[in-house]
Amino acid sequence: MHAFEILEYVAWGVAAVLGLWMLFDMIKTDRSYSEEFLTSSKEGEIRDALVIDPPHQGGHL
Amino acid sequence: MSQTTVVHGEKISLLRVLGPGHIWALGVGIVLVGEYMGWNFSVGKGGAFAALIACWFAGLLYTCVAMIDSEVTSTVAAAGGQYAQAKHIVGPLMAFNVGLYLVFAYTMLEAANAITLGYLVQTVGTMAGFENVHDKPFIVLTIVFLAWLNYRGVYATLTFNLVLTAVAFIAIIVLFASVKPWSGEILKHGDLLNGLPYGMLGVVAALHFGLWYYLGIEGTCQAAEEVRSPARSLPLGTMTGIITLLLAATMTWYICSGLMPWEYLGQAVTPLFDAARLTDSQPLMVLLFIGTVFSTLASANGCINDASRAWFSMGRDRYLPTWFGAVHPTNRTPYRAIMFLVPVALVFAYFAPLDQVITFSILSGLLGYTYMSFNVIMFRKKWPLDTIKRGYVHPFHPIPAIVLLVLCSVTYFAVFLGYGTQLVAMMVFFAVASLWFHFHRYKYVRRGDQFTMDWPRPAGY
Amino acid sequence: MAKPHYEPPKQSVAGQLFDSLFLLVLVFAALFTPLYLKLAGGGKTELAVADKTTWAGLGQNAVQQAQWEKLGMTPESAAGIITSRFDYSFDLAGLGLTILVVVGYFLLLFHFSKAEYADVIEERFGKK
Repeated sequence: MHAFEILEYVAWGVAAVLGLWMLFDMIKTDRSYSEEFLTSSKEGEIRDALVIDPPHQGGHL
Repeated sequence: MSQTTVVHGEKISLLRVLGPGHIWALGVGIVLVGEYMGWNFSVGKGGAFAALIACWFAGLLYTCVAMIDSEVTSTVAAAGGQYAQAKHIVGPLMAFNVGLYLVFAYTMLEAANAITLGYLVQTVGTMAGFENVHDKPFIVLTIVFLAWLNYRGVYATLTFNLVLTAVAFIAIIVLFASVKPWSGEILKHGDLLNGLPYGMLGVVAALHFGLWYYLGIEGTCQAAEEVRSPARSLPLGTMTGIITLLLAATMTWYICSGLMPWEYLGQAVTPLFDAARLTDSQPLMVLLFIGTVFSTLASANGCINDASRAWFSMGRDRYLPTWFGAVHPTNRTPYRAIMFLVPVALVFAYFAPLDQVITFSILSGLLGYTYMSFNVIMFRKKWPLDTIKRGYVHPFHPIPAIVLLVLCSVTYFAVFLGYGTQLVAMMVFFAVASLWFHFHRYKYVRRGDQFTMDWPRPAGY
Repeated sequence: MAKPHYEPPKQSVAGQLFDSLFLLVLVFAALFTPLYLKLAGGGKTELAVADKTTWAGLGQNAVQQAQWEKLGMTPESAAGIITSRFDYSFDLAGLGLTILVVVGYFLLLFHFSKAEYADVIEERFGKK
């Protein structure tokens, strides 16, 4: 097995991990909240939106 | 990084965190890959001069698109962009179709980007002397990784895009400066340019791939629900985006047409990378390789962002199953829409040939632009300027709309030259989907709730 | 409000799943049918040249020749690229049919949209 083959397996592995991460998180989220709450977003709700400090909201890396 | 869930009442929404820089990155990021690959097929279809004429005609088309879009979007601040516009201005069936155009244009473009990235990694592997290297693992990794990034939060996603896009744009400028455009030392336009090999018909045909220089810039308004001040940021980000692209497209044409015979350029996979090779400079080669990789990543990333917003919006309105209209409580992203589109993108990137994927994407975009020209005329008619306050008012109405419609018609003809069957297949698809929506799906849709803007009653209704 | 509020029926999970799958199948059909029928892509013709084994015979000047060679090409490997031309001939019937399909599609779209839109406005703003 040469270096590039290892790289290919790493790529498959990382893709699988990230895919499963999303899948599990989705299942977990779906179970811990009610469907009404999850789908409660409504279009055009602009005026009651909160002013948010960007780096502390949704900006996690 | 700390994360507080903001829940007002019993409701949840996407996050308003983006600034004009993110909008620029989203718009240009999706499109800039077009300068790194793809635009040069227009050289093949009509010669180098035809490609330049197509570049500027398409530039005019997109300037109309950007002006029209900026005006309408500065009032319709909703995720889904043109989809939400269509819903308020033309009607539900139009909106359903526009939503599908968006999802397909972006998902196909995403697949095309992943294919190109896989091809590049494979090329490097082969150049390094390895045997039997595959592109598939990298195609899959690209799609899954970017979907994961999108799933985790929009701020990080688009900040990532801002960096990638800036690097890819700077790479083009550096290359342009390095080939000394003021002298004939490296660029040999006099010896390489040779008129129009196909005559005027070639110019028209070239328009097909001329769209590639700019395809996707209209995606900026998908982020309308996540921008801090949409009325200002969206027009600003979109207009600076189109100027960036006009500059980048012209520079790219000038560099490549001065370095390569048009027959070669017309079929090259990575024209800017080839241009760097022809300068004999190792650092430039590395820089343009990085630029190519970054531009494909940025593009695919923006595509996932836009396609999922459109899909999410349609789910929220019950145009699609309501299940898709969910927002993640902590990440605040349309997570189910993002997940659903991953396998779709994978199937296309895995099984469909590149030029088919691209043509599907271009056609979806083209249908969207055709709609826009009608859209803005109806918008001004139903809500004259004094009835709604706009963040931006585009000048010379209705000339941009008419110019846009004429250019779209010419482009349909350009696609017809060589891709007539796909054109008809696609129209049949949208017609069948429309009938399905009107006679079956629409019964699950709430009527009055679709109109969410606090606009006055439209004139004439 | 003059018009009674329209309350849509609730869709079952199976129905939601079916609707999603239906759209997917439709997309794949549109993409793969032209491919399957081998109708994709335009025709190509070949340009007649004097001599396919030399740069001069292929009509390339000194500068062009230098750039081809820098890209790692020989007259033999470049000949196919240089002589290939698109075939832009088409028949008017095909063009007419295509125009009909495109225009017809947009007419259908605006026609149905208009009826649905009037309904939306009436429920949102009440009868005039």
